[in-house]
Amino acid sequence: MGKNTVRKAGVILLFLALWELAPLIGLVDPVFIPRFSGVVQTILELYKTGEFVQHTRISLLRAFTGLATAVVIGLPLGLLLGGWFPRIRQATEPLMELFAVANPVILAHIIIFFLGIGESAKTFIIAWLCVWPIIFSTITGIRTADESLLKAARSLGLGRWQLFRLVVLPSAAPSLFTGLRLAAGYAFIMLIAAEMMGAGSGLGWFVLQSQENYHVLRLFAGATVITFLAVLTDVSIKLLQNRFAFWNGGPAENVLEQGRWMA
Amino acid sequence: MSQAGYMNNYLLRSSGVLLFLTLWETAPRLAWLDPYFVPPLSVVVAEIGLLLGTGDLPIHLLVSSWRGVTGLFLALLIALPLGVILGRWLTGLADALDPLLRVLSQVNPFALLPLFLLFFGIGETAKVAVVTWVTLWPILFYTITATRTVDPLQIKSAAALGVTRSQMLCKVILPAAVPTIFIGIRIGASLTFFILIAAEMLGAGSGLGWLVHNSAMNYLIPRIYAGATFIILLGFLLNRFLLYLEKSLFAWQEYPASWTTAGEIRPYVWRPGKGAAIAGAATLSVILILGACEVRKLNQEAMAGAGGSSGHAKHFGTPVESGSGGF
Repeated sequence: MGKNTVRKAGVILLFLALWELAPLIGLVDPVFIPRFSGVVQTILELYKTGEFVQHTRISLLRAFTGLATAVVIGLPLGLLLGGWFPRIRQATEPLMELFAVANPVILAHIIIFFLGIGESAKTFIIAWLCVWPIIFSTITGIRTADESLLKAARSLGLGRWQLFRLVVLPSAAPSLFTGLRLAAGYAFIMLIAAEMMGAGSGLGWFVLQSQENYHVLRLFAGATVITFLAVLTDVSIKLLQNRFAFWNGGPAENVLEQGRWMA
Repeated sequence: MSQAGYMNNYLLRSSGVLLFLTLWETAPRLAWLDPYFVPPLSVVVAEIGLLLGTGDLPIHLLVSSWRGVTGLFLALLIALPLGVILGRWLTGLADALDPLLRVLSQVNPFALLPLFLLFFGIGETAKVAVVTWVTLWPILFYTITATRTVDPLQIKSAAALGVTRSQMLCKVILPAAVPTIFIGIRIGASLTFFILIAAEMLGAGSGLGWLVHNSAMNYLIPRIYAGATFIILLGFLLNRFLLYLEKSLFAWQEYPASWTTAGEIRPYVWRPGKGAAIAGAATLSVILILGACEVRKLNQEAMAGAGGSSGHAKHFGTPVESGSGGF
């Protein structure tokens, strides 16, 4: 176990060392791929000037407001559709499937008519993107709850609320978290795209700006920070899942895990 | 169960979409929504018809498909051999590389786009590289998992029958792994469709994403809706088609519901045979060849039109001018 962790960390370190050495010994052009230490140095400098802190904060704020909105809307909706109103679920499922493939970047041009080009439009785009995986994973989680567990709980005389709280919700929890991870991955990918298209701040804007000014070091610094934030978010949700829903989610979780590489 | 039961179920399932479409038509007509900003459905459908008629939509569709298919092929070319090697022969290396690959797969394709623009210029290569990058990861991960989890019983039996190494690969490992690999291809393809449209909005002079972006820049509101509707419909059909292929091609495999469809896909009725395979291959080659010609033509026109264009798309000119026109 311990040896395994060392080996895994070793490979990442090896990669970073390669990144450091390849431009140094002229394997790649240092103008296009700067050394890792140079990138780290740029990141630190940018943080010292404070400008970068601002962009990081704005991007994170946008991503999390969108994600939180999606959870607040998607979770109750998924619970209601999955648990209580099967006929409404059947009626709305194809429509939701259509909405889920609606590319938020394209919707952005329409959303702007209604919300302007301010922050609310960006939050809406992220929320729109995140809400579908959350709704679908909630529905799937609830619908694949073990029938015999439900029957056993009912025969033990559990009420509706107790049944929901003690049986349905725990068995849906692992797939809920997987849906959340999917949504967070989406949120980051599309946030950067949205910020590149129409924003005057944020990490996506920063990266595009650096490219237009041929500032390669800043470009790499931005891309590295974005990757770091994405990995951090993914790992934290995984840790939350290990803490609060460590049990196996059964078939639903496996299905959702397959979909994970959508993001 | 019965014919009426199927019919009822079908009606129920389509009721949501029908209600939405009705609302879309009536709300602007009754002035609940400003018809200038939300054109009624009929106007949008007419606009799609017009775009199809002038040949604009087909050309941009062809260009987008070419980028998508080329990127997908490149990704397959890299990920399949790599996945088989890592999943079958160098499993220790696969374990060690896993965290690095996971981190790399989290690298944002849009953060890479400026980098690719820097390396490859604003031509097609940057866009195809983004598509390849996005598609690469699901295919690679699924190939590794699939080749790793082949039933050992099958491998041992084959070995006991004295198969050669290449026979083992072609007759045992690949057939067992292909259904799972296809899931990776499907996920990669639908993700590509998402990312490609966005990438075309950021720095392109053609393609479906550009069509919508250009309409927005010129305030052609019905055209925005037409392009968006067409793209959504296309994405939906692509997703359904790939899911359908997955079910019908590998009928011996059992699949649980996919999260996008939350179950309830009917069992297959038709299995693609030789004819279908030839037709599919022909379609792909037509996309590749015609698309390449079209992309070259459009790029040359763009080159001739705007001498030194910046990294951004040209925001002027209607798509009618840039397309090679129809009737």
